[in-house]
Formats: sequence, C-alpha cells, structure tokens
Amino acid sequence: MNKCIDSQIQEMLPDLAHGTLDESSRMRVEAHLASCESCREDMVVIQTVKNAAVFAPSIDVQRVVRQIPPYRAIVPGVQTPARSRVTQWLVAAGFIVAVIGGGSLLMSKRDKATATNQQVAGVAADGGRQFDSAAPGLRATEVAPSLAFAGSIDDLSDSSLVQLMTDMSQFDALPAREPEPVFAMDGGEGQ
Amino acid sequence: MTPSPDRKAEATDLELIDRWKGGDSRAATQLVGRHSPALARFAVSAGEREGVDELVQDTFVRAFTSLDSFRGESSLRTWLFTIERRLMLDRRRAEKRSRATVPVQETDSVSEYGALDGLIAEEAQERVRRSLDALSPTQREVFTLRVQQGLSYKEIAEVVGSTEGAARVHYHNAIQRVKEFLKNE
Repeated sequence: MNKCIDSQIQEMLPDLAHGTLDESSRMRVEAHLASCESCREDMVVIQTVKNAAVFAPSIDVQRVVRQIPPYRAIVPGVQTPARSRVTQWLVAAGFIVAVIGGGSLLMSKRDKATATNQQVAGVAADGGRQFDSAAPGLRATEVAPSLAFAGSIDDLSDSSLVQLMTDMSQFDALPAREPEPVFAMDGGEGQ
Repeated sequence: MTPSPDRKAEATDLELIDRWKGGDSRAATQLVGRHSPALARFAVSAGEREGVDELVQDTFVRAFTSLDSFRGESSLRTWLFTIERRLMLDRRRAEKRSRATVPVQETDSVSEYGALDGLIAEEAQERVRRSLDALSPTQREVFTLRVQQGLSYKEIAEVVGSTEGAARVHYHNAIQRVKEFLKNE
C-alpha cells in the first residue's frame, strides 16, 4: 500500500468524522477516500478512536455551579489627571528653592556655632577677666600665648615647659560669676 | 469547512455569559452542563487518573472568575481546554515535587493513563487506550483534541501553547503510530 501524499486531505479526515466539512470539501474528501487505501485506513483509525471515547466520570453540574462565585465586574481604577507642564515646573521650582534655602540656613547656623566656640575659647583664655567683654573672633592664644603650642609637648624646651606650667597653675578656667564682696579696709571711719 | 457544533454554540455561549454577568445563575448551569463532559473526556485522555471532577470544577471556577479576560476570539470550549490543561500541568508539577526522589520522564503520564485499566471494558476501547499509551503526552493531547474533540489545528495550538504547524506534525506522527499499533495488535 502506498502512503498518501495529499496532506491536505489527511488533515480534513477528522473534520469529516465530526461532520464539520462544508459540502464541497466533504465531496472532495469522499472522492479521495474511494481511491486511496491509506486514507481509508486513517479514517478507520479516526472513527475507532472517536467512537471509543475514553471513559470519563460524569460531572455533578450543580455542585460545580455552587462553587462558582457571583460575577464581580472589574471596575477600572480612577485615573488622576495628568499634571500640567506648568504644575510640574512649579513643583520643580519649589523643590530647588527649598534645597537652596535649607542649605543657606544650615551654613549660617554653622557660622554662628563657630563664632560662639571662638568666644568661649577667648573667655577661657583670659581666665574670665574678659567674660563680659570678649571681643568676637578673639583667640585664646592672643590672651595667653604660652598656653598655645603646636606639636608634641616633647618639642618644648625646659624653660618653655616651666613657663607653661606656671601659666597653668595661675590659669583660672572657671571664673566665679559672683564678684567677691569688697570691704573697705578703712571701714569708712575716716569719712 | 462548516462551523463546528461548538462554533454554532459560540454565540449562545456569549449570550449565556452575558446573562450570567447579569445575575442569571441558570446561565452558569447551562454552560457547565454543556462543556463539562468534553472537559472530563479531555482530562482522562490526557492521563488524569483521579480527581477529574475536581479538575473540571476548578476549571470552571477559574474560568468564571476571569471571564472578563475572555475576549471571544476563540470558542469558549477552546478557552476552557486551555485553562484545564494549565491546571493539569500544575497538578503534575506538584506531583513531581511530592515524589522528587523518583525521576520523572515524559513516559510517566503514560503510566498514569494506565490507571484506567479497570475503567475501560470493551476490547476496542482497550486497544485504543493502548495505542494512545504509545504516544508522547503532547502527541496524545493533540491527537485526542483533533480526533475526539474535533478542534481545529489553530484551536489545538492555542490549547497546547504551540503553533499550528507543530500541531499538524504531532497529529501526523500520532496517527501513524496509532495505525501501526492497531495493525500489529
């Protein structure tokens, strides 16, 4: 038996078995079958498999339907209107102003803090004598030059070291705010 | 080619879907009653040995909860086959994981199909079953969808996630193997 080479007819055989061919196609396929043993064998196989539809359990339709949830339409999400170009520019400008303003504020605060530190250092340097009149920017080293030195203490000469220790012993780091009461030595008796 | 019975029913399927969306639960009953036998047959043909009713039920639940994504470009039955096939693949993956120590090969689903031994009584059915056993899972899916369900190659390609050309090749190879098997029996 020769194998059929008309693949178009072969592919239509299941449609013939299901009765889904139009009239002209059905007549064409049937005419071919009359003269083609290979396709007749194919048709027998198709009919056999189709008729021997495998056993399948019957489905409880009502049970299936009970499991189906009620229909819930998909509601499209509310779309927010697109921002206009002007609004986008305003937002961008606001952001830039906020960044620059914040940066400036931070810079000015840092300058103030530096000045305050310098004032405190000045007050400490003059032993509290200039507590009330410390000039801005006054350095402790200008008031007590011997207290300032660069490098290691090993670099100091013996005389410098002695001078430093003397200054330190005389340095009053915590000046009393309350002035000591002044008593007239003569008691005012002469007045 | 004239429209298949499924295609004739396609408009009615769409009408029933609209009625169900409108709150008519009887429309769902009609749809399930119309398509559940074919889904059950396809499941068994594809090698599902147990839980076919649960599989069909899951298919309908999945389909009805996502009916808004059904655009009617294919028939409802084709769409249902596609959903059912995905569920079957998920099941098989889960089974493979549960028996991870046993290497799973393509022929495994053939042995699953063998569980139908006690269900098929007649000799002709037994012969057909054995001939289908000789096919690869994809060949068997394509062949049964074409011969038993009467789907077109385009619909089959949609269901199995392949091309029409590949479906044709699988069909031709399958019918040759089945023919040889039945001849040599």
